Amino acid sequence: MRPMQPTVLVLGSGPIRIGQGIEFDYSCVHCVWALKGIGYRAIIINNNPETVSTDFDTGDGLYFEPVTLPDVLKVVEHEQAIGVVCQFGGQTAINLAEGLERAGVQVLGTSPSAIAAAEDRDQFDILLTRLGISKPPGKAVRSLAEAIEIADQIGYPVLIRPSFVLGGRAMEIVYDAEQLRAFFGLAEAENPGQPVLVDKYLLGLEAEVDVISDGVDTLVPGIMEHIERAGVHSGDSMAVYPTVTLSREIEWRMVDIACNLARELGVKGLMNIQFVVWEDDVYVLEVNPRASRTVPYLSKVTGLPMVTIATRCMMGETLKSMGYTSGLWCTAGDFAPHAITGSDFSPLVQGGVVPSADYLTQRASQSRIFAVKAPVFSFQKLAKVEPSLGPEMKSTGEILGIDFTYEAALYKALVASGIEFKGEGLVLMTVRDEDKEAAVQIAGEIVASGFGIAATAGTAEVLRCAGIDCLEVNKIGDGEPNLLNLILDGKVSMLINTPSADRMAEAEAARIRRACIETGIPCVTSIDTASAIMHALEVFAAPEKASCLRLEEYIEAKQEANIR
Amino acid sequence: MKVLVIGSGPIVIGQAAEFDYAGTQACKSLKEEGHEVVLINSNPATIMTDPGVSDALYIEPLTVEFCERVIARERPDALLPTLGGQTGLNLATKLADAGILEKYNVRVLGTPLSAIKKAEDRESFRSLMREIKEPVPESWIIESPDQLREVLDLVPYPCIVRPAYTLGGTGGGTAHSTGEPLEVGQKGLKLSEPARKMVERSLLGWKEIEYEVMRDSAGNCITVCNMENFDPMGVHTGDSIVIAPSQTLSDQEYHMMRTASLKIINALGIEGGCNVQMALNPDGFDYYIIEVNPRVSRSSALASKATGYPIARVAAKIAVGLTLDQIDNQVTGTTKACFEPALDYVVVKIPRWPFDKFATGDRTLFTQMKATGEVMAIDRTFESALLKAVRGLEVKQKDLRHAKWAGGQEADSTLKEAIRVPTDERLWAIAEGFRRGMTVQEIHALCKVDPWFLNKMEQMVRGENDHIVEPTVFKMVDTCAGEFESQTPYFYATEGQTFDEVLATKK
Repeated sequence: MRPMQPTVLVLGSGPIRIGQGIEFDYSCVHCVWALKGIGYRAIIINNNPETVSTDFDTGDGLYFEPVTLPDVLKVVEHEQAIGVVCQFGGQTAINLAEGLERAGVQVLGTSPSAIAAAEDRDQFDILLTRLGISKPPGKAVRSLAEAIEIADQIGYPVLIRPSFVLGGRAMEIVYDAEQLRAFFGLAEAENPGQPVLVDKYLLGLEAEVDVISDGVDTLVPGIMEHIERAGVHSGDSMAVYPTVTLSREIEWRMVDIACNLARELGVKGLMNIQFVVWEDDVYVLEVNPRASRTVPYLSKVTGLPMVTIATRCMMGETLKSMGYTSGLWCTAGDFAPHAITGSDFSPLVQGGVVPSADYLTQRASQSRIFAVKAPVFSFQKLAKVEPSLGPEMKSTGEILGIDFTYEAALYKALVASGIEFKGEGLVLMTVRDEDKEAAVQIAGEIVASGFGIAATAGTAEVLRCAGIDCLEVNKIGDGEPNLLNLILDGKVSMLINTPSADRMAEAEAARIRRACIETGIPCVTSIDTASAIMHALEVFAAPEKASCLRLEEYIEAKQEANIR
Repeated sequence: MKVLVIGSGPIVIGQAAEFDYAGTQACKSLKEEGHEVVLINSNPATIMTDPGVSDALYIEPLTVEFCERVIARERPDALLPTLGGQTGLNLATKLADAGILEKYNVRVLGTPLSAIKKAEDRESFRSLMREIKEPVPESWIIESPDQLREVLDLVPYPCIVRPAYTLGGTGGGTAHSTGEPLEVGQKGLKLSEPARKMVERSLLGWKEIEYEVMRDSAGNCITVCNMENFDPMGVHTGDSIVIAPSQTLSDQEYHMMRTASLKIINALGIEGGCNVQMALNPDGFDYYIIEVNPRVSRSSALASKATGYPIARVAAKIAVGLTLDQIDNQVTGTTKACFEPALDYVVVKIPRWPFDKFATGDRTLFTQMKATGEVMAIDRTFESALLKAVRGLEVKQKDLRHAKWAGGQEADSTLKEAIRVPTDERLWAIAEGFRRGMTVQEIHALCKVDPWFLNKMEQMVRGENDHIVEPTVFKMVDTCAGEFESQTPYFYATEGQTFDEVLATKK
């Protein structure tokens, strides 16, 4: 018999639902493996039969039980566990941290008070102010009158949402007091007794990071830039690593904010931060003091075993002792390869952390691979569900496209998520006024690629003025044949429709979007997604431009290019 | 041997994490046997796409074009198509149909594609069933809207309209009167590939029973377990509350359907795992074969977890030529995979639906699956397993009480409708029915759920206000109900003192 090892309980993430998917199972499994690797007896509690974490040979013990406080406490007592890991099982697990601590159980990694400091609006505002970090102006309010007052102060549009609720449920962007009145009640009802958050909505570029900290040093594996601007839930937006449009200064500011926040909160393990870039400044939108859904994606494309490193930080090792230091991880340049002594893992690639001074020059000379994450939806299965993108998450899964050019990576992400030009049909465009300018450019490129365009009166008029030929079609109310007939007759290859605030127009647009979903026609509802498709058009025309390689070949080729 | 494995791609309703579980197990299993694994999967959020799970990893789109490029580069000797859900299977079929497998000399491992086609193509499946004298419900194959119109007068109503080859029954529906099939069918015709539809006699109200069976190349067959749907026929099994093992079958019924399942996998020539769905007349001994899934599925993941028998791992070994008697049972370490698991506990699965997110969504459940995930609970009785599963769902209801009906504001007539029409809330509606004094007979008449389950629920509702807290003990899932020595570290909690509890780790 080997000597008894200390037992650690890892909390799973329960059933797969929108907002909490398979990504969390990935992180739990890696945490268990990492714990085993450093000599702990790692056991799991989870009740999802579909997962790897509930395979009986993943951990040293499997408790097939609900992930609720009483059930977890029973297992902790029975197993005499030295502590519980809450940060890999999504919100299900992190929500138990406070209760576990109150029951006298050791919560490993980031402390429950730090978790509260990141999740509680007031505490978090104070922290950001102290660190000189900007966030969109706003306030937690308890009445409609107060909400209107704040909105008048900061100016519309504002984002309203219930506090302590996830996945963007009952979240809405409102453009005037009338809309605010209409939606306030919904947000309030979602979590009764808790304040409603009213924040200035900044239509900027969004980016996010997942960082690993030991409480002192903070490693930023990478920055992911969202393709859709603010207003689309991060789980529903496409994202590219590394960033393609952010300036080096902006990127460095994000790294700096991440390092400061992690140190100030005393993060031990993983943390996710969402940013919006507005008028050349970086604003923090949200901080999640736990592993997020982008951890597996970022681990794979950076080659960093993020969960393993985070787990070892949680268990008391420092990043320095593992050969890492604070800053942004790069796989290129002349960095000394990090050395991990006595470790049971080796990252896919060697690299190093860019010190801030070298950063601006180093990054410019790098050759890159691009990795684009795209959401996948299940609207075909859900009758009467509105498929347009917004602040509330709707996707059930995701895929990844990797290649040496941004265009090819985008192409792969689009194809793998089911967005491609079906058949030889028309691209049907009907966009809101704000998007008409962008629509002209998109339409021009579509026509140049040999596709035809169909558009409703308003959009068609704008296109014709710009000299772009298109087929004008009736709206549903204007008699047949109209755009619905066009869709049902199989003449449409793709729909580009951006929802407008006009309720009449919206009611009709919703019918059209559902018709596309039900007939299997790709339905693009964000003008930013449409612009991304345009970037990939050249690869759609010549798919051989996309590579097809083993994952490690992409990363090795990238390294070689950089060494040369 | 170099083996290509096709993953299931992104998580969508009808195809969730179970294929990561199955695929990871299968890759490990193939490597254990000394084979080299080439994997293609576009989903980065999976364990199977971790470096090291396969020998060559392609995170590329799951299309014929990219698969062909992978095959051309890697030149695998063989393809294992039955682990990536319907996505993987459809892709493998397309690769075969396009002549790509032949061109690069890739052979198909496990269940032959011809057997898969026979199981999935309704017409050939039906003729095979007729050959071996297994009953299938009357049905008509439709390939055009005109043909659909022709059968409207012949169909016994209600009838089910559904396509071949789709996930979770996309495009399917129940039609209750003439005219309705036309609407349901036209939608399905567009989604199905190829455009083939089924119009089928509805067996609404019959019991729905599943058997998970395995067969090897030598023709050895076993039943891993059987499962009973709480919701009678008419609700997709992915949307049903499922109990393992079955609770309401007589021994004769159990063996009648077990024999039928084994007969079917033999006739199909399955080499691996297979799921057989059957409808059983609650008032007699007649049954119909509803569907056969000749691959690893959501049900097989559930069956694996419910019994401790690793179906995907064993299926992968069968695919490379091992027979059941040659494969070790890892759980006991002392028995072989040809031993049928025995359960000394009850397992309840409840689906997790996305209607908290999609308030406007249509909550009714029928042949098209809507759940995004599921929870499973293990306990000594149906009652305690059911309550444990509810508690683990992470929805607002923590037991059989639902805020919607608390205080009795909702009228009895709306409640009755909620009991009659299957939705995600029906379980709670039934409980509320008992709370309001309805009898088992009355509720059964509305929802057709077996009276055995309803009796249990009635007792549970009666005991709602008793709070007897018994000590918790932990028990082991060992695949053999204690018959053999077992070392699995797989446990569940139960209340009350019993003699075979698992002792805590000694410090």
